[in-house]
Amino acid sequence: MLDSALILELAIMFIKVFVVGSVLFALPIPLTWLERKVAGHIQVRLGPFRVGPHGVLQPLADMIKMLLKEDIVPEKADKWLFRLAPIMTLVPTFTVFVAIPFGDKVRIPFTGREVALYISDMNVAVLYILAISGLGIYGIIFGGWASNSKYALLGGLRSAAQMISYEVAMSFAVIGVVMLSNSLSLVEIVKSQSGGFLHWNFFYLPVGPLWFIIFIIAGFAETNRIPFDMPEDEGSLGAGYHVEYSGMRFAYYMLAEYVAMVTVSVLAVIFFFGGWNPPFNLPFHLTGETAMFVNGGWNAEFLNLLAAVIPLFWFAGKVAVFIYSFMWIRFTLPRYRYDQLMRIGWRVLIPLSMVNILVTGFMRI
Amino acid sequence: MSAGKYMEKKRECGIRDIFRRTFFIDFIKGLMVTLRYNLSKSVTVRYPDTEKWVPFPRYRGVHTLNRDEKGRELCVACELCARACPTKCITVVPMEDDTGRGIADRVAKVWKVDLVRCLFCGYCEDACPTFALRLGKDYERACTDVSCALLDREELLGPAEVPWSFDGGVVVGARFERGKGGIKVAADLSDEKSPWFERQ
Repeated sequence: MLDSALILELAIMFIKVFVVGSVLFALPIPLTWLERKVAGHIQVRLGPFRVGPHGVLQPLADMIKMLLKEDIVPEKADKWLFRLAPIMTLVPTFTVFVAIPFGDKVRIPFTGREVALYISDMNVAVLYILAISGLGIYGIIFGGWASNSKYALLGGLRSAAQMISYEVAMSFAVIGVVMLSNSLSLVEIVKSQSGGFLHWNFFYLPVGPLWFIIFIIAGFAETNRIPFDMPEDEGSLGAGYHVEYSGMRFAYYMLAEYVAMVTVSVLAVIFFFGGWNPPFNLPFHLTGETAMFVNGGWNAEFLNLLAAVIPLFWFAGKVAVFIYSFMWIRFTLPRYRYDQLMRIGWRVLIPLSMVNILVTGFMRI
Repeated sequence: MSAGKYMEKKRECGIRDIFRRTFFIDFIKGLMVTLRYNLSKSVTVRYPDTEKWVPFPRYRGVHTLNRDEKGRELCVACELCARACPTKCITVVPMEDDTGRGIADRVAKVWKVDLVRCLFCGYCEDACPTFALRLGKDYERACTDVSCALLDREELLGPAEVPWSFDGGVVVGARFERGKGGIKVAADLSDEKSPWFERQ
C-alpha cells in the first residue's frame, strides 16, 4: 500500500516532470529572443533593442500580443481537427523529454538521497524517441488538412513527404549510434562515451563523423528548419501549414518548433558528444560516492552539490552550442528546392547510411 | 525534362573538387562569412533613441528663409521661386516696407509653401537671387494633420535646429522626447559619432 517511501518517490517524480515541463515551456522565450538577435547581428543589424535592455523583454511583449490576438477559425475548416492539430504537434515534442537524461544519478546534499537527473531510464529509449517524435508530424498534416486552404494543405503534404523521407535516414543514424554504444538506453549510450572526448561517438573515426552528419541533416529536416523548411516555405506557400492559424494556436506551433530544435540538439549531444561527460578527464574522480571520503561533513556535501551541477553545466553548454549553430545555419543557407530535398534524402543519405552500417559493423566485430 | 536531369549539370571531378565536396568546404566558408558578420559591429543608426543622422550640406530638406548678418530678411519677394516651382506649391505675396525689415524695400507679406505638394527638387533654391531661400536639413515632418504641412513665413524664418555653420554628413547623439505636442528627436550637435558607413 501507500507507504512514505512510495509517496516520496512519487513526489520526486512529479517535481521532475514539473521542472522539465516548465523549463521546456519557458525555453522558447529566451530562444526567440536569441534567434532574432543572432539574425540581426548576422545581417549587421541590432535585432530587438527597445523592450528592456537589449530587447530581452521582447518575447514577453510578443506573448502579450499573441494572447490578445483574435483566435480565428476559418468558416469552412474542419473545426475540431483545426483546434486539435496544434496540441497534437505540441504534446509529442514534450513527451520526448520523458526519456532524455540530463545527467546521472546525483546525491542531494544533507539528505544522502540519490536522485536521477532524468525522468525515466527506458531500456528502449531510442525507439521511444523515434516513435514519439514521428507522431509530431500528425499535428502538421492535420493542421494543413483542417485549414481548408490550398497553401496549408500543400505545406502539410510537403512536411509529410519530407518527414517520412528523413525519418528513415535519422533512424539509420541512430542505429549507427546503437551499434557504437551497444545499447538502446540513452543513459547507457552516454555512459559508454565517458572518459574524455576521444571516447565520444563523434570521434569514432571514420564512421562517427559521418553518422553525425547524417543525423544532423536529418534532424534539420525533421524540425523543419532552414535549409529544409519546405512546409513553411514563405516564398511559395505563404506560411505553409500554419497559414490559417493565429494567436495562441500559432504560438503553439512556434513553441513546438523551438522545442523540436532543442530536442534535436539534445539528441545530437547525447548520441555523439558524450551527453553530460566532460570533454577531458578530471584529475580526480568527482562523484558523490568518492566525495564522501575526501573530507567528510560539510565539505563533502559541497562536493556532492558540485558533482551534481557540473554535468548539467557540460550538458547545457553542449546543447547551447548546437542551438546556436541551428540559428547560425538558418541565416547562412538558402532553402533547398523540393526535388533537391527529396534527392538528398533518398539518393544520398539513405545509401550512405546503409554503407556506413556495413562499415560500422565490420569495425565493431 | 525532369527536374532531376536539370540538376545534373556537368561537374568537375578533380581531386580538389572531391575533397571540397566531401568535407563541405564551401558550406564552412559560408558559415565563416556569417560568423564574421555576427561578431562584427552593427551598422544600425539607433535613430529615435540615441542617435540621429544630420544630412550633408547639399541635402534638400524642408525650406528655410534666411536673414543676413544684421538680421534683415534676405527675401525680396521677387516670386522667382514660385515661378520655378514645378508643382506650384509656393505662394508669395509681396508688399512694400521701408522700415528695414528686409534688405530691400520690397518684402514678402505672405510666403508659404505647401509641403504636401512639394517634391523637394530644389528649383526654388536655385532660382532665388539673394540666397534667402534654402532647403534645410530638417526631414522629420511626420504629423497627424495635413495643416502642419503648410509652412508660412514666420515658421520658415525661425532658427533652424541645425545651423548652416554645421556641416553635417555625420551621426550625432540624440534624445527621443515624447511631449504633449507629439514626439521629437532632439539632436545634440556637440556629440558627434561615426557615420553608419564607417562602422563595422
